[in-house]
Amino acid sequence: MEKNKEEKFSFLDHRTYVLVWLVLIALTGITVSVAGMNLGRWSISIALVIAAIKSGFVLNYFMHLKYEKGIRLFKWMIPGILALLVLLIGLTFFDVAFR
Amino acid sequence: MNGNKDDTSSKIGMWLFILSEIILFGGLFILYAVYRFKNPSAFHLAAEELNRPFGTINTLILITSSLTMALSISCVQKGNRRSSLVFLLATLLLGFVFLANKYFEWAGKIHHEIYPDSPRLLERNKGEILFYGLYYSMTGLHGLHVLVGLGVLLFMGILITKRKIDETNFAPLENSGLYWHLVDIIWIFLFPLFYLIP
Repeated sequence: MEKNKEEKFSFLDHRTYVLVWLVLIALTGITVSVAGMNLGRWSISIALVIAAIKSGFVLNYFMHLKYEKGIRLFKWMIPGILALLVLLIGLTFFDVAFR
Repeated sequence: MNGNKDDTSSKIGMWLFILSEIILFGGLFILYAVYRFKNPSAFHLAAEELNRPFGTINTLILITSSLTMALSISCVQKGNRRSSLVFLLATLLLGFVFLANKYFEWAGKIHHEIYPDSPRLLERNKGEILFYGLYYSMTGLHGLHVLVGLGVLLFMGILITKRKIDETNFAPLENSGLYWHLVDIIWIFLFPLFYLIP
């Protein structure tokens, strides 16, 4: 029974998952506290950066991206698409911000 | 004998789908960015009416459900069907509570006659109307995704029970997990944008 075994056993131990979970909880706490501070125009950037970091943890550990072997291109699809989105928003603002 | 099984391809397929979902929500995020840029104080005012503790709890719920999802997959990979089912059930439960919370939030707003196109809402200024339009459509679309995810996970639970998913064949569960984590990630972005506007 030939199965593709090479990249099958990429599971992490439960401890790692729980650690990542704790990090996510902590980051959520930070996000909420930062929102309470008076940081003006920096608030949204900080909130988005923290959200991106949280997503990074979910993507790399819960979704196993960090441990996916072999296919180089694969791992960069997500950062690529996010870069595209940032570009789209940025370009939109080139228009909207100057009206 | 399942000669046509190709786990790598099916995983890539799910990732491609995830990319398309990112673009889907991305479009709405672009809308949000522009309208918030043009109506900063209105967005701030409207966001204050949302229940921050509720939103925070929902965020924690989804994050925890991602943990239980990952643990469920890990258990199947190690051949532990029973624990896998327990964690899967936990994920389902958490997802259900998330939707219940959203139901209460929406019900509260609707009770105060704030919903898309309501006369009460239309009396307010343009920015607030836009905020609520985005709030309902984005959390609504997200909620739909959660609901579909619950259906998929329920189906996975049935497959595990029937031993169609085990340590030699767990790609369906893994891919369902990928979808569920996506739903979590989307909420991770929705939360600060709607509930934490300074």
